[in-house]
Amino acid sequence: MHEISLVRSIFNTLEAEFSAEELGRLNTIELQVGLLSNVEPVLMQNAFEAVTTAENKFREVSLRVNTVPIEIHCADCGVNSTISDYKFVCASCGRPNNNVVKGMELLIHRVHFDEEAGAPLT
Amino acid sequence: MDQVQKSSKAARGTVTCDNSTMHLLKANDFVAESIRKQMASQNTLMINITSSAGSGKTTLLQETARRIGDKINMKILVGDLETERDADRLRDVGVDALQIVTGGICHLEAQMVWQAMENLDLDGVDLLIVENVGNLVCPASFDLGEDYRVTLIATTEGDDKPKKYPRMFLTSELMLVSKVDLLPYLPFSVDAVVADARDVNPNIDVLEISSTANVGIDEWCDWLLERVEEKKGVATAAKV
Repeated sequence: MHEISLVRSIFNTLEAEFSAEELGRLNTIELQVGLLSNVEPVLMQNAFEAVTTAENKFREVSLRVNTVPIEIHCADCGVNSTISDYKFVCASCGRPNNNVVKGMELLIHRVHFDEEAGAPLT
Repeated sequence: MDQVQKSSKAARGTVTCDNSTMHLLKANDFVAESIRKQMASQNTLMINITSSAGSGKTTLLQETARRIGDKINMKILVGDLETERDADRLRDVGVDALQIVTGGICHLEAQMVWQAMENLDLDGVDLLIVENVGNLVCPASFDLGEDYRVTLIATTEGDDKPKKYPRMFLTSELMLVSKVDLLPYLPFSVDAVVADARDVNPNIDVLEISSTANVGIDEWCDWLLERVEEKKGVATAAKV
C-alpha cells in the first residue's frame, strides 16, 4: 500500500526502542506481515532498499518479511482454522466465522544484533 | 521487548519483540483511540465511509443531508488527494463540511482526522461522518476511531470485489450496494456480491441504494438515526 512510509515507521520504532550503539550493531530485521495487512513483501523489500539508500542508514541491515496466513477461531468448536480463498468458515463445523486471530499482523517480530559493530552475524 | 532497556544491558543476538510496542501502525491506533474517547465523551456517533473512487459516497451524503440535516446536528469531514470539490458539494446542501486534502496520500490516517477536528466545532454534534479517500485497499488498515465503517460498492464496479479487497469488507459493519437503478443495464448480481461479502464477513449488513433514483435512502437514514439514538442511549444510561 504505502510501503515507503511503513519503512520510515520501522526506523522510528527501532530508534525509539534501541540506543544508537545497539542500532549500530543491527544485523537483521524480521517483520511479520499478515495476508490481510495489504502489504506486498516484494514491494516492502524494494521500499526498504530505496529508503536505506536515500537516507544512508541501516544500509548493511537485511530485512526479512515473513507472511502470516489468515487464521480464525471458532468459539463453538474451540478450533482454529486457516482460511484459504478468503472463505471465512470454521473447518470443523462449517459455520461462517470472521473472528480473525492471525493474518492482520504488521509488526517487527524479531531483530538480530551483532556482538560487535562491523562483525556480521554468521 | 524482552526486558531490554536502553539504560541496562545492551541488546545482543536475537531479540524477540513485543507485538504491542513494535506494531507498525501503533501511532495511528493510538490517535484513533483518543478520537474514540473524545467522541464517547460527547456522545457523537462517528461513521467512516469508504469505497472505490466514483461509487457515489458524496452524492449519498448530499442526499443524506437533505433528508436528515434538519433532524440532527451532522458534520462531515471529507478526504481527497487534491481539491475542495467534495466539501463544496456538501456545503451546497447546507451541511458543515471540511475538506482534508491529503496531498497524494491514498488514505486518511487518524492524525489527519484529529487535526481536522480542531478546526470543526463538534459541540452538540450528533453525527460526524468521515468520507474517506476513494480506495478499497489502504483505508482498510487505518482505524480512525469510528463507531462503524460503511463501505459502498457500486453496481458499475462488478460483483466480484469483496474477495479482491477482503480486509475492507471484513472490517465493515454495513455494505451499501449503490447505483441499483442501473441494474437492468449491467451484468451485476446483488445476490452474488452479498454472497461474496458474507464469505469474508458473515455479519455484514447490506442495503441496496440509489441516491439519484431515491431507492433505499430512507432505510439508510433510519440505519443512521437508530445508531445516533443508540449512542445517546449509551450516554444516558452511563450517566444514571
